[in-house]
Amino acid sequence: MFNKKRSIDELLSEWRYDEELKQNILHWTTLEPRPAKYASFPNNLHPSIQKALVARGIQQLYTHQREAFDYAVNGKSFTAVTPTASGKSLCYHLPVLQRILEDKSSRAIYLFPTKALAQDQKSDINELIEEMGEEILSYTYDGDTAPAIRQKIRKAGHIVMTNPDMLHSGILPHHTKWVSLFENLKYIVIDELHTYKGVFGSHVAHVIRRLKRICEFYGSDPIFICTSATIKNPKELAEKLTNTKHELIANSGAPVGKKTFLFYNPPIVHPTFGVRRSSVLEVRDLATRLFEAGIQSIIFAKSRVRVEMLVTYLKSLTKNKIQDESIRGYRGGYLPTERRKIEKGLRDGTIQIVVSTNALELGVDIGQLQACIMTGYPGNIASSWQQAGRAGRRQDSALIIYVANSTALDQYVVNHPDYLLGSSPEEALINPENILILMDHLKCAAFELPFSMTDTYGEFEVQELLEFLQEEGVLVQTSSTWYWMSERFPAHEISLRSASQENVIIIDQTIPAGTKVIGEMDTYSAMTLLHEEAIYLHQGTQFQVEILDWEEKKAYVREVDVDYFTDANLAVELKILNEDKSVTYNSASISFGDISILAIPTIFKKIRFQTHENIGSGKIHIPPLEMHTNATWMSFNLPENWSEEMLTDALTGAAYAISSFIPLYIQCDRSDLSVVPQVKSTHNEKPTLFIYDSYPGGIGLAERVYDLLGPILEETIQHVRNCPCQSGCPSCIGAQDSLNESKHKVLKVLSILLKEIG
Amino acid sequence: MSYENKMLQLKQKLGKKKEQPKDKPTFQRPEKPFYISEWENAGLTLVENEYGVLFKREVTYPLEFQHGTYQLGLFYDAIKKWQLTSINHPYAMDFDESIVFFDTETTGLKGVGTNIFLIGLLDAFDDSFVLTQYVLADPANEAAFLYESKFWQQSKTVVTYNGKSFDWPQLETRWTLNQHILPKLRKQKQIDLLHSSKRIWKNNLERMKLTKVEEEKLGFNRKGDIPGFLAPIIYTDAIKSGHADALMKVLHHNEWDLLSLVTLYIHSTNLLLEQRLDESATTYTNIGKWFGDLKYINQSEDVLSTVTTNYANEDAGLAHYYLALQQKKSRLYKEAKNSFEKALLFIEKREKLKAVEQLAIIYEHQDKDFEKAIHYTKLGLKIIDNNQFMKKEQTVKQRENWLKRLQRIEMKQIKNSFELQK
Repeated sequence: MFNKKRSIDELLSEWRYDEELKQNILHWTTLEPRPAKYASFPNNLHPSIQKALVARGIQQLYTHQREAFDYAVNGKSFTAVTPTASGKSLCYHLPVLQRILEDKSSRAIYLFPTKALAQDQKSDINELIEEMGEEILSYTYDGDTAPAIRQKIRKAGHIVMTNPDMLHSGILPHHTKWVSLFENLKYIVIDELHTYKGVFGSHVAHVIRRLKRICEFYGSDPIFICTSATIKNPKELAEKLTNTKHELIANSGAPVGKKTFLFYNPPIVHPTFGVRRSSVLEVRDLATRLFEAGIQSIIFAKSRVRVEMLVTYLKSLTKNKIQDESIRGYRGGYLPTERRKIEKGLRDGTIQIVVSTNALELGVDIGQLQACIMTGYPGNIASSWQQAGRAGRRQDSALIIYVANSTALDQYVVNHPDYLLGSSPEEALINPENILILMDHLKCAAFELPFSMTDTYGEFEVQELLEFLQEEGVLVQTSSTWYWMSERFPAHEISLRSASQENVIIIDQTIPAGTKVIGEMDTYSAMTLLHEEAIYLHQGTQFQVEILDWEEKKAYVREVDVDYFTDANLAVELKILNEDKSVTYNSASISFGDISILAIPTIFKKIRFQTHENIGSGKIHIPPLEMHTNATWMSFNLPENWSEEMLTDALTGAAYAISSFIPLYIQCDRSDLSVVPQVKSTHNEKPTLFIYDSYPGGIGLAERVYDLLGPILEETIQHVRNCPCQSGCPSCIGAQDSLNESKHKVLKVLSILLKEIG
Repeated sequence: MSYENKMLQLKQKLGKKKEQPKDKPTFQRPEKPFYISEWENAGLTLVENEYGVLFKREVTYPLEFQHGTYQLGLFYDAIKKWQLTSINHPYAMDFDESIVFFDTETTGLKGVGTNIFLIGLLDAFDDSFVLTQYVLADPANEAAFLYESKFWQQSKTVVTYNGKSFDWPQLETRWTLNQHILPKLRKQKQIDLLHSSKRIWKNNLERMKLTKVEEEKLGFNRKGDIPGFLAPIIYTDAIKSGHADALMKVLHHNEWDLLSLVTLYIHSTNLLLEQRLDESATTYTNIGKWFGDLKYINQSEDVLSTVTTNYANEDAGLAHYYLALQQKKSRLYKEAKNSFEKALLFIEKREKLKAVEQLAIIYEHQDKDFEKAIHYTKLGLKIIDNNQFMKKEQTVKQRENWLKRLQRIEMKQIKNSFELQK
């Protein structure tokens, strides 16, 4: 076949006449280029910094970088919303370096969500410092840091790059070893702010409150600098996370090239059940076209399995060339040296196609590519833009192809390009008020510094909680103060990545001599995800749970390669404990409050990928579990002439559909919230839908749902109505066993609710 | 009621603060605890200073006091022994120093939330040893307690057991927390007897717990001692209930620790400076190696040859080996060869491989005896192939190096025989 190198624009004009492609491209949208907006260097910018910037070919700043500098030197905390490749790191490097050059005793903490990101950024800042020719020490401090240099970092490190987990258990509980850092801390940089959401974000909010408390003790009052991908509420998130007022830098001055978005929907192969051709195969074919046109591309896939599948498919394109490295995979778990090699290959062009999990979403420098393909919707708008941002060299056109899976959310997105391209990304929510999380960190805070009888903690009045801790025996009270008095080291008992007290440890025993812990999960989620015979996905790899030791909270898993996943059923008994808010309409009501959930695991099903057919089932042997959390619930009157059975199907379908669409409004995974129907609720005997946070104590999601019910219902109805299937499919109300009236009934239920509430 | 239920109730009590700037309070003298008379009755004395109150206990020991095998006064003989040598050993002391033995008891093992509640000091005076124990009255009176230790005022030589990595850093942590009130903590010269015990009794004592060392080496057996891990609970209970009976047992535990530090120093000095041969070959070999590492080659060779001449060969393997290493360094190749070959039968693993390597090197480069060199190289390869002490990558790498060596020597041998023929 004749291959010819083409530009994006040339390729696109060919595609416009390609009948085979055209029928699958539902939308074709072009965003026009935007030139750069520049601002001059600040007058007082230190000559060494200017020298380093000029050496990099930077003669002036983008407007947002200048704005950042000005806020920082005026002592204002701020959050900068920065798209991919907009030079965001200069937003914090410049003021931090400036300050250190003005006063060598100054210190800064850089906080990255993961260890790997901190290590990536270290080389970036060290290059800059080298070009400045100044003696400024910046180090990463994490579990990998050699003991020999730890002391030096504590005493003399100007910039300490670390992650929240290390701060929580390795730095704050030992703050007396970091006196020179805390006494002179001028800046706290929080990169990738948008990743601090949900349970993790709520924990980190407390780690930062503890950090601020320690700073106050040592007499420092650092300024916060946050950078975030596009989310709906960056300022609010930053303020809630840091308990500090923030300025917002919303407009990036970086140039944007022309971007063309294609919304591609794989063709339907089974019309009745709404089954479409596999998105992986479609992506393979599209990537082949890009490869043959000589266009450097990145392909995102959600799981490791899919990455490997695509790499295998695509490598066949180069099988006749020896030692060809032009197609590579990239995912978590690669060694730093290997990653550096791939990043370099991408920058110098020896690698033409890279297939990646979302590992490349965060700030790793791979330069800019020409095209990006997303295999399925990444789950939220922020991630989509991060991924799309990987395509687009300064002046050139960029091509972004979104290939939809057959799930409800994917189908919605492919049919509503404005949703993705419009300007209303999701909210990222945290809930520092979650009492369980708060108590955990109150213990850590009391360990780190005693509380006086008049002290508060962050924005919280905590005297009664401290009294409780005294009753529990970990604090003693003197005439004026609460002191930690226990052998325990509370930070070790608390994991930032989970909300519950006790976690199930996941142990991989694939290699009998080399068993290792690969993760942990809160007990509630473990009931449905780690029961025996469950297929547990860890970073895209499939594991089967062989033994679940519920007493010891250990799950032993082994790597497997199967074509199904497992779906467990919980019989859920709900009890309303406390109603905080409520609105009553003619024949419906919605409420928000605390509920207790008694979860009784029943059976699990094995469900084949793609076709979603049920290929087996089994019993789950785990005792019932009680959990308290937040919920929003809506009740309505039973429509006339409906049997209970009809209602059951309709409510189940409605729950499925609603839960698919909540992530459109709130940045969370489908599994963060549960939607549970009750045909006859125990509290008012009416049909009720409960929407609750899947984490003990709640993380604020259900509460937002309470405010957003109208739009969520409206969107759900529209989507179910417009779904081309006849009577319900995985893309709308869930797979149906037979052709029936379910879809109609679901719409009816949803309409009743919307009529009342909307 | 479950933990979660309790939490849910507490949640109703969770208030939010109204923003109001707070003035940093100046230091206020904390109140006195309610149990002063009870603790005084138990045998403690109340001390007051400008930062608050603390408790104290003092005991004076005459130099003739017998603790296990030794009298405390022998400590001064030990110092004299150091003065009589020319060695500037890190454990040497002289009569000009103020010497204090130091040991603390704490409420935990690490972190800022761990309190020191007992500072035990045993001062060495010319005519007696004086024990002073300071007890934290309660956490609010911490500054008073730390201040009384006088570590801000005097510089002394502080002798501890694991103090370098535990007691002293803990004291620094507590001091830092009170840095806005207290004068600065002074740096002190430190001698950590855990470190020396590890050097002396490696492979001889299984555990270096002080009570174990007492029983095995110092002839002292404690009666009615409380285990150290109970100390935190006992202290917490004492300040909650006001009862000090159990606390007094912790003080006795601490007292024994301090007395044993004195006799441990005496005993260690004797071992280091006199080869009385009343301990095992392993102990003296360790001592010889330690001198070597400190670059006191003569002392090292003295001690090691004492071992090789006085102990059976099977016990003296390592001594031969270390001696050989030093002989080689001094270019005494014949002696080194001899010692390595003697060591070979009685050493194993890394040391054996190293010895074989050294022999191969000497035979190749000094003696040009290629046949012998090949013999030892092959032996080395055999050790590598059967080894269980190296990681896989290391084994592969070592193997590669040794094969290279073998090739090189074989080439030399061929060349040599070729030249001989000519």
